[in-house]
Amino acid sequence: MIPTPLKQTLAAALIASAAIPAYGADIVWARYGDIDSLDPHKATSTLSLQVWRLMYDSLLGTDATGAPVPHVAKSWTTNEAGTEYTFSLNEGVLCHDGTPLDANDVKYTVELALSEDSPSLTKASWGPITAVDVIDPLTVKFTLATPFVAMIPFLADGFSSIICDSNADAEGFGTDTAIGSGPWTLVSWTKGDKIVLAKNPDYKNFGRLAQNPGAPFEDGLIITVVPEPQARLAALKTGEVHIAEPPFDDVPALKESGELSITVAENTGQNVFWEFATSRLPFSDKRARLAVGHATDPALAIDLIYGDLSIPEACPVSRGVFGNDQEFCKQYRPDYDPDKAKALLAEMGYGPDNPLETTMVVWTGGNRQKLAEVFQAQLAEVNIEADIEIMDIGSMNARVRQENEKTEGKASMDMMTWSWYDPDILYALWHSPGAYRGYNTPELDKMLEDTRTLTDPAARKAKVQEVFKHLLENGVHIPLYTPGWEWVFAVRPEVEGFKVAPFVYPVFADVKLGG
Amino acid sequence: MSAPGGVTALRRPSLLLRLVSTPAGAIGLLIVLVLIGGAVLADFLAPFDPTKMGAGRRFQPPGGNHLLGTDEFGRDMFSRILHGARLTLLIGAVAVLISMTTGMLIGLAAAYARGWSEAVLMRGTDVLFSFTETLIALSCVAVLGPSLQNAVIAVGIAGIPFYARTCYSAALVERSKPYFEASIAAGAGHGRLIFLHLLPNVLPTMIVVATLGVSTAILAAAGLSFLGLGAQPPLPEWGYMLSGARDYFNRAPWLMTIPGLAIAMTVLGFNLLGDAIRTALDPAERQR
Amino acid sequence: MGVLTVFVTTVLVTLLIHLVPGDPVQIMYAQSQGSTPEQIEEVRRNLGLDQPIYIQYVQYLGRLSEGDLGHTIRGGQPVLDVILQRLPNTIVLAIAAMAVAIAIGLPLGFFAAYYRGSLIDTGLMALAIAGISMPHFWLGLILLFFFAVELGWLPVSGSGPANLILPAVTLGLSNAAIFARLTRSSMIDVMNQDFVQTALAKGLPRTLVFRRHVLRAGLVPLITMMGLQFAFMMGGAIVVENIFSWNGVGRMAVEAIFQRDYPIIQGFILTFAVVVVCVSICLDALYALIDPRIRRAV
Repeated sequence: MIPTPLKQTLAAALIASAAIPAYGADIVWARYGDIDSLDPHKATSTLSLQVWRLMYDSLLGTDATGAPVPHVAKSWTTNEAGTEYTFSLNEGVLCHDGTPLDANDVKYTVELALSEDSPSLTKASWGPITAVDVIDPLTVKFTLATPFVAMIPFLADGFSSIICDSNADAEGFGTDTAIGSGPWTLVSWTKGDKIVLAKNPDYKNFGRLAQNPGAPFEDGLIITVVPEPQARLAALKTGEVHIAEPPFDDVPALKESGELSITVAENTGQNVFWEFATSRLPFSDKRARLAVGHATDPALAIDLIYGDLSIPEACPVSRGVFGNDQEFCKQYRPDYDPDKAKALLAEMGYGPDNPLETTMVVWTGGNRQKLAEVFQAQLAEVNIEADIEIMDIGSMNARVRQENEKTEGKASMDMMTWSWYDPDILYALWHSPGAYRGYNTPELDKMLEDTRTLTDPAARKAKVQEVFKHLLENGVHIPLYTPGWEWVFAVRPEVEGFKVAPFVYPVFADVKLGG
Repeated sequence: MSAPGGVTALRRPSLLLRLVSTPAGAIGLLIVLVLIGGAVLADFLAPFDPTKMGAGRRFQPPGGNHLLGTDEFGRDMFSRILHGARLTLLIGAVAVLISMTTGMLIGLAAAYARGWSEAVLMRGTDVLFSFTETLIALSCVAVLGPSLQNAVIAVGIAGIPFYARTCYSAALVERSKPYFEASIAAGAGHGRLIFLHLLPNVLPTMIVVATLGVSTAILAAAGLSFLGLGAQPPLPEWGYMLSGARDYFNRAPWLMTIPGLAIAMTVLGFNLLGDAIRTALDPAERQR
Repeated sequence: MGVLTVFVTTVLVTLLIHLVPGDPVQIMYAQSQGSTPEQIEEVRRNLGLDQPIYIQYVQYLGRLSEGDLGHTIRGGQPVLDVILQRLPNTIVLAIAAMAVAIAIGLPLGFFAAYYRGSLIDTGLMALAIAGISMPHFWLGLILLFFFAVELGWLPVSGSGPANLILPAVTLGLSNAAIFARLTRSSMIDVMNQDFVQTALAKGLPRTLVFRRHVLRAGLVPLITMMGLQFAFMMGGAIVVENIFSWNGVGRMAVEAIFQRDYPIIQGFILTFAVVVVCVSICLDALYALIDPRIRRAV
């Protein structure tokens, strides 16, 4: 069409006129959306968590399987009752403003998180902390009202990022500024467009998954927002971007050509599952819930939309999280069996002339609406007519709760998504009253309470699996697949050393941009 | 047969003739007729159920068993486009009906009542008009929540200011005519004046405007569906299909091309037809 | 008129939150593990939703006068900040698109008028009607895929000048068709006026008459239409920004709708109205400057 030399000239002219900054030693990572806040207490999205992880440190880190390991805290001890945790901190950790990170910063963070007027959105996950005491600058003691074993994995997650107390004097913390102690420091945040980070030259890595013991190799990290998957792919191909989530459908071709390498996050803890408004019929009847489980085949749906990038999950908490055991869960999860589904529905009086009508609520993005379309077709096969409603995760959380508070009206089910570092999420979801005010029983409440206080790992595991069994057998939380969002990374060939830590935390400290 | 009836009977074929006498009008009419035909007969013409997955291999290119190929679920694109035509026409018709009836009520009321209620109505309309239809539609969807039904209502509401203004000017012209003054003098009631004198006389203008308005409404609704704020799966709505096809552009470009072409052709059809009707009805316009 | 528009907008924006079916606070405040009734009450109080509606309105105006548009639901950012960081991008896009539309539409409309009734006229007008019929979201996708994805000529992320090209062309092309039609009819109106007919009858060359009289007189009414066109551009930008990842208020608004972030939506509508009003005031001034008749009248 256009002769090649001319095309090249044109291209060169356009690129020259574009005034693209020479990235040089800046790593460019493109994602579909932006963070909500620089303040780790003011948001819950994975997009935000991933960035906080780069800017802040937490007391603990995780190993490749997701288990907590020492990091800023070099060791910790507990009393017998499990109500006191004493952490000794590593020496020489500096906040980005040059002040040393010590026990006071930890105390400051916890008190912010639990404050009356503006608590952390994940306040409940900190547990029943009654006091944080600074024993000396490198020793801090947490006192709990009751034992809470999920606190240790929480202190390894991004939600517990340590906020340096120098932020107290800073204008616009969370909006324009943020002082952490992580491997990258904040340069600027242009909302909706990009976050510019620079390497923290003083960084000391004690327990993070990066092999690099100190400061990142490259000078900067630019995290840009490119919502359109094909545009991200184009940017990857031209070199404008080094790392980004590609369109899923293009992954096999990319792998084949070797043009870009594909990194798939493991041990993400992401769980996509069916759950139901159990406040009214039909889903207050366990048969209807189990019928949905028997009618839907996640393996087929994933294969159509994500290929081999995701896998079916049998447990209510996914691989990488304490207690997960595929073989155990498969015994109880309603398996794909449309005939069984039809039989259960027939018992309830539903059939081809009298289909079960329901609304299926789905989180927008990541091609989940396409997956929902497959499930919708599968449900139709067993006489369940589901209308799909697509919305953002925040609205979806609200909607699901509203549905549970209604006592009449059309049935409602949803393809919920949660990622957590510990089975304690099941407490938040299913212990009465429950995050969504949904299913709960005194029996389940008791089991969930035990999972918080059993300090012996083997005993806790047995109890957690008892919870799994209850949720699966009763069709309360029917797991579909894992991972489910922001877990695929296409990486340019010159990028060396990129990896993704458990719970989808990309690690850039080891990245070198080769020739 | 009474004389007025005879006049209409005489006039009708000549309007149609004038319509098809220009190539643009003929093409417009043809496109619209084909669309209506496809929409009405979709159940007979479509070889497959438009929502049936696995009707064929996935990503089959156009040709052979599947005239327009298949999508990512192996659904037949031709069947989906046909059923989509039905949706699209329905969307256009309902949205225009909402805008036109409400707009006409406002316009007629303002032109008839005069005084402060006229000022309030028309100033309000002007304000809304300056907001543009996209913003109004978006605000309505923000309040109502995303669904095809709400998108149609939103587009319908968004169109009201335009129809109100058009109807208002047309009604003002009518109101100033001597026969109208005469009717008032003869003691005709409000209802009679509005519905027997004003309404029938502004109606032809409004119908022309509505034909053109269908294209705007279809475009706006498809835009909302494209953004994910309109039709929800598995409806074969063209804007939604187009939006869902982006991910498969490298493997199956036709999934994006076909719904886009369908929207463009439909809008073109109504635009051409609307222009042609206007020209046919308005000799002054024809001179230009 | 401008003041009225802004006034009506503030009323509508206050009402907006009450028109939402269900409890807006419940909808808004649910993004984490679940919120306590106290938190819900807190948000309700912060938004003033526990007050009668006219008080809410007065409070809203009070906050507005201090430049406070509230805080976003997601992340608690000041809404004014979030909008002001993006608004310049949208205005730049609208102006660039306007430039494209004028650069293409004006000459085409002029030529069509000049060769009125000829094949050129018919052809150009057919082109214009095809342009109007083209869904701009489709045109945008095609341009994106062709120039950015396939050829890799233009960058796809960020908000630099090169990123502006595709969205501005997309938005500009759809509106160029409208401009062409408007220009053509405006020119023809002028051509039919006596002074032009007289000039032609005097035997002055057609080209000269066009250049000297028709063009100048025909352009003036177009300026009045530009205000509305600019508003259309702002509206069109909502869709186009989403396609091209252009970081403007339109993309922000669509995201906010999905997130039910009502403070952002309210802020967006208000900003839109203020911008449209400012532009039309500027254009009125420009019009008065160009057309002495108006100046005298004013």
